[in-house]
Amino acid sequence: MIIQTIVFYVLAAVTVGAGMAVIGSRNPVHSVLFLILAFFSSAGLFVLMGAEFVAMILIIVYVGAVAVLFLFVVMMLDVDFASLRAGFMQYLPIGSVIGAILLAELILVFASGSVDIKKPDAVAMPTPDPAQIANTEALGNILYTHYGYLFQIAGLILLVAMIGAIVLTHRARTGVRRQNIAEQVARRPKDVVRLTDVKPGEGATWKSD
Amino acid sequence: MTAFITPNYLLALPEIMLAGLACVFLLVGVFTGNRSTVPLTFASVGAMAIALGLVLAMDGARETSFGGMFVTDTFTTFMKCLVLIGAGATLVMGLGYVKREQMSRFEFPILILFATLGMLLMISANDLMALYVGIELQSLSLYIVAAFRRDAVRSTEAGLKYFVLGALSSGLLLYGSSMVYGFTGGTGFDAIAAGIKAYGPGNLPLGVLIGLVFIAAALAFKVSAVPFHMWTPDVYEGAPTPVTAFFSAAPKIAALALLLRVLLGPFGELASSWNQIILFISIASMAFAAFAAIGQRNIKRLLAYSSIGHVGYALVGLATATPEGVRGVLIYMALYMVMTVGTFGAVLAMRQKGQMVEEIADLAGLSKTNPAIAAVLGIFMFSMAGIPPFAGFFGKLYVFMAAVNSGLYGLAIAGVLSSAVGAYYYLRIVKLMYFDEPTEAFDRPVGREVMAVLVLSGIITALFFAYPAPILSGAQAAAAALFP
Amino acid sequence: MGLAIAAVFLPLIGAAIAGLFGRVLGQRVAPLVTVAAMGTSAALGIITFIDVTFGGNPGKAFLFDWISSGTFQAAWAFRIDELTGVMMFVVTVVSFLVHVYSLGYMAHDEHKPRFFAYLSLFTFFMLALITADNLLQLYFGWEGVGLASYLLIGFWYKRPSANAAAIKAFVVNRVGDFGFGLGILAIYLSFGSIEYDVIFAKAPELAGQTFHFLSGEFDILEVSCILLFIGAMGKSAQFLLHTWLPDAMEGPTPVSALIHAATMVTAGVFMVARCSPLFEYAPTALSVVTFFGATTAIFAATIALTQNDIKRVIAYSTCSQLGYMFFACGVSAYQAGIFHLTTHAFFKALLFLGAGSVIHAMSNEQDMRRMGGIWKLIPLTYILMWIGNLALAGVPFFSGFFSKDIILESAFAAHTGLGEYAFWLGIIAAALTAFYSWRLLIMTFHGKPRADHHTMEHVHESPWVMTVPLIVLAIGAIVTGYLLLPMVGEHGGVFGASILVLEHHNALEAAHHSPFWVKALPTIMAVLGIGAAYFLYMARPDLPAKLAKALRPLYLFSFNKWYFDELYDFLFVRPAKYLGVGLWKRGDGGLIDGVGPDGIAGAAWTIAQRAVRLQTGYLYHYAFAMLVGVAAIVTWYLFASSP
Repeated sequence: MIIQTIVFYVLAAVTVGAGMAVIGSRNPVHSVLFLILAFFSSAGLFVLMGAEFVAMILIIVYVGAVAVLFLFVVMMLDVDFASLRAGFMQYLPIGSVIGAILLAELILVFASGSVDIKKPDAVAMPTPDPAQIANTEALGNILYTHYGYLFQIAGLILLVAMIGAIVLTHRARTGVRRQNIAEQVARRPKDVVRLTDVKPGEGATWKSD
Repeated sequence: MTAFITPNYLLALPEIMLAGLACVFLLVGVFTGNRSTVPLTFASVGAMAIALGLVLAMDGARETSFGGMFVTDTFTTFMKCLVLIGAGATLVMGLGYVKREQMSRFEFPILILFATLGMLLMISANDLMALYVGIELQSLSLYIVAAFRRDAVRSTEAGLKYFVLGALSSGLLLYGSSMVYGFTGGTGFDAIAAGIKAYGPGNLPLGVLIGLVFIAAALAFKVSAVPFHMWTPDVYEGAPTPVTAFFSAAPKIAALALLLRVLLGPFGELASSWNQIILFISIASMAFAAFAAIGQRNIKRLLAYSSIGHVGYALVGLATATPEGVRGVLIYMALYMVMTVGTFGAVLAMRQKGQMVEEIADLAGLSKTNPAIAAVLGIFMFSMAGIPPFAGFFGKLYVFMAAVNSGLYGLAIAGVLSSAVGAYYYLRIVKLMYFDEPTEAFDRPVGREVMAVLVLSGIITALFFAYPAPILSGAQAAAAALFP
Repeated sequence: MGLAIAAVFLPLIGAAIAGLFGRVLGQRVAPLVTVAAMGTSAALGIITFIDVTFGGNPGKAFLFDWISSGTFQAAWAFRIDELTGVMMFVVTVVSFLVHVYSLGYMAHDEHKPRFFAYLSLFTFFMLALITADNLLQLYFGWEGVGLASYLLIGFWYKRPSANAAAIKAFVVNRVGDFGFGLGILAIYLSFGSIEYDVIFAKAPELAGQTFHFLSGEFDILEVSCILLFIGAMGKSAQFLLHTWLPDAMEGPTPVSALIHAATMVTAGVFMVARCSPLFEYAPTALSVVTFFGATTAIFAATIALTQNDIKRVIAYSTCSQLGYMFFACGVSAYQAGIFHLTTHAFFKALLFLGAGSVIHAMSNEQDMRRMGGIWKLIPLTYILMWIGNLALAGVPFFSGFFSKDIILESAFAAHTGLGEYAFWLGIIAAALTAFYSWRLLIMTFHGKPRADHHTMEHVHESPWVMTVPLIVLAIGAIVTGYLLLPMVGEHGGVFGASILVLEHHNALEAAHHSPFWVKALPTIMAVLGIGAAYFLYMARPDLPAKLAKALRPLYLFSFNKWYFDELYDFLFVRPAKYLGVGLWKRGDGGLIDGVGPDGIAGAAWTIAQRAVRLQTGYLYHYAFAMLVGVAAIVTWYLFASSP
């Protein structure tokens, strides 16, 4: 148990530290890299809790896809992050005051000793015993039954997000030539080829019918 | 682990039907292109009408489904009716605008349909997770339609601002939810209520309250109550007018329904705690909106502040945490929906030489150039200012009465004073229309759909006092559902 | 009784028809309707007069309960007694004649229906006043005639001076009416009723009793009567409250004749006579009446000496004659006062209407300095004016002679200090009256024409609708003295129980036995006055100017009406205006509006501007505001819910 505790605190500290580094570092590429670090350590935390499926998903989806996409975007777009951060210092004092107050209050709440989470019996869906059932299977068992409703709506949300992405960005460009197979197949030589007798000194002229 | 029970799909029939039809419409649109915008708009309105019929067909007894995540009762019936009517009316009304202003894309009615679906899910939510997905479905659709005129800077700016701030509020919501889950051990509303009860009076950990504050703040953002209102004027102004009309009618009602449900349901035990938040938010909204609206020149911004103020008045009823007060809220929202839809109908008619105009000054002398619209808009303004015998007066009357009966005299006085200040900017519009020299006349014809909505909402606003029974009894029954 | 009531309401009907349907009926018909109604009313008035006053047949008629509130009862009832009979005769007959006269005088005015409606309305109020059976009804008529007077003075509302005069008349009357209203309230307070019968019956037992007010003891009857008399002073233009009457000449001349000579201004005299059962038990109040009456008589006469406006001379003369009537009442010779009221009504109406005829002839010229030499051109008017002036001056065998003599004799016979005061002032005033009357006659009709050529060419006799009423009034001015002499006969004349005179106050009885020199003196004075006027204005027309120069201070004092207008302007009008302007600009505009509507609106605007500025448009400001909101609420909870 002691090792688990140590690992938990290490991973947790890394997560928080990486999170702060994401917004703190001057180089946006570094920010993204710190983000990836935060994802990794979060995945470690999930593993620690026995949720290896979620941990793997986190790494595959967030690290493998989202974060890498971020990295590309950051590197490809020439965004002047220095100017974006120009006002940062101006608002830092008051912002940090409010943040500090909020943080202090939350610490106060959790440290007030009234934390008395009646677990595990009060928890709606406790983590099943990994020895009995594989993590992925257990997840599947409830995801498509108890949480089928949420699952469906999440699907709708993604659909809407997709529609939104298309609506807001997709443009039907004019002047772009596209291959139209039906048209190509339907072409006949007599429609498109014309034989013209070119007289000397006049040149050829195209006259459409 | 509790055994899985096959959910009662019939309870969610309107939602399932809407979701299915939305997907079908999407397919139709994809295959036929933008020329199907108008038919799809009418089809969407038809779908909403069917959903309305299905909602009304339910007997209203409290039933849950999907493992207790989804609930229907008289409250959901009432609120869903309002949302569907508001959404349908604004969709129909905006058709002319959509056609004229190069917004004629088939995704528009479908996104509105998805947003409406999200609202219905919000209203029926009986679980923090269901609440969250409902809100997200709704919000995501709204972000997109706010930025729908993607070539207009203000529209995209509106969409982006709304999206970022909406994400922040979602963050607050999730953070609050996690705290509540942590302290009470449940996400279902019934489980939360049970968890709070289990602590017993006086032993409640502060964490629950803090979680509640975060959730309430997120919901206050959705209803655009001060100080979580900052997005409203910019988004209202920037978004295309039919979208603004939709924003001010349907989502506000859904979000308020959620606020009522969350505060009175799982956190009903803590009414004496949260009503202080509501009290503060209510007074701040009423007062701030009354003053800020005076300085506006753009009619959509003005209506944004007006809607902030109206939410403040409605929250007066919630602050009482009594059935009477909740009934007041529901009546208020119903009447507000009618008035605001009508007012936006008039705004949609503001077109000069083929261009939409949005300055309040453009209304000058409207009584001479277009007496019919001036008269109807005048009725809405008087009604919103709370002048009898128009509907708005009764809305205010019921919430203030409830406040007085609960001993919240300060709140009632603050409300009356704010409405006195607020009367200034409503009556200024009337003054402009009736006593100032006409500028350019508005283009004619205004459009059949707009006129139909204008006339209908004008009649309801003007003659509510003659036959208030349907709304009153509906609100009464709906309020009773929240106080089992 | 029914006839009398019909006489009261006929003018109202006429007024209603002409006023409401004037446009429909047209310029010609509407006046005729009122004249017809008024004619009938006058006939009924004469019948009532003969029947009630001379037949000794008083009566009362109850119409309906007007106000019934707790112990306060006010009925709408008519009291037609001998006194009322005399008044009805005067009011209806003079009013009818003035109506007829106005047909000619106002022929070219485009608002004739309105004019006749007002005139008839006035007559109705006047009749309501004199037939009242209680103080409230009296007050109703009292205020009604004030209203009609206001409307008629300001009839030519496009003239600023007419509006100013109308407002002045109304405001000055308000001062008197305030006293009058207080008097009625005092009477109700002490007597518990406002019915004449009840009050009069109770007066003897309340005599000498006091009531407590603001840590002082006041005699009930004295205070009530003085308050009532203040009302009479206002309405009858007595000294101190007289300033409105000369200005009221801005109204059309028939109005001056009817309201400001014959009827309304005499309402005060009538009221004092009507309340004789109260005044008789209030000796101090009677002294006050005597003093003010006598003072007014001489005061107004001195002013009339130097005025140049023909109507103003007659107006001051009226004022002076009213003074006579009041001091007659003051020495308990109420009958003499009413007698003079009656004769005066005829000859003064005659003078006014005659003056109107002159003004008519002179193309609306009122200044006597621009008249003269027209007696041959308008001989009928000239003769009628002579008759009027003879009656006014009290030349023997004209009506004024009888009534003025009996008043002066009564004052003498009262054998009191104030009676002597009144007598001698009255004698001097009589000489002055004769003097200014002939000054008026001579300046107007004799001497060289001072009007321009154009006006003189157009001088013409008035049409018959104007001259016939004048002739009737002239006959009245000659014969009423004789015919109505029984009014001041032995044993209270014909007034029966309507006027109460206590045994030891019986100056009128004593007057019949006054020495010969007392009887002769007024006549001598009149002749002296006429002679002086003839000498100064006819024989030596250069003298008046020299005299005025020699006695410049006195002349100016008289010419400027004892500087009353200036004094009041300084004492009341300006302070009131300063106060009003101060309250308006500073109190209302600065304080109430400044702090109230304007201040709140301004503050709202300022707050609105700040609220608008909060909306910066920056996303991070918005997000920050949300977080601050959350933090604030959380903080509040931490501190509010932790014990």
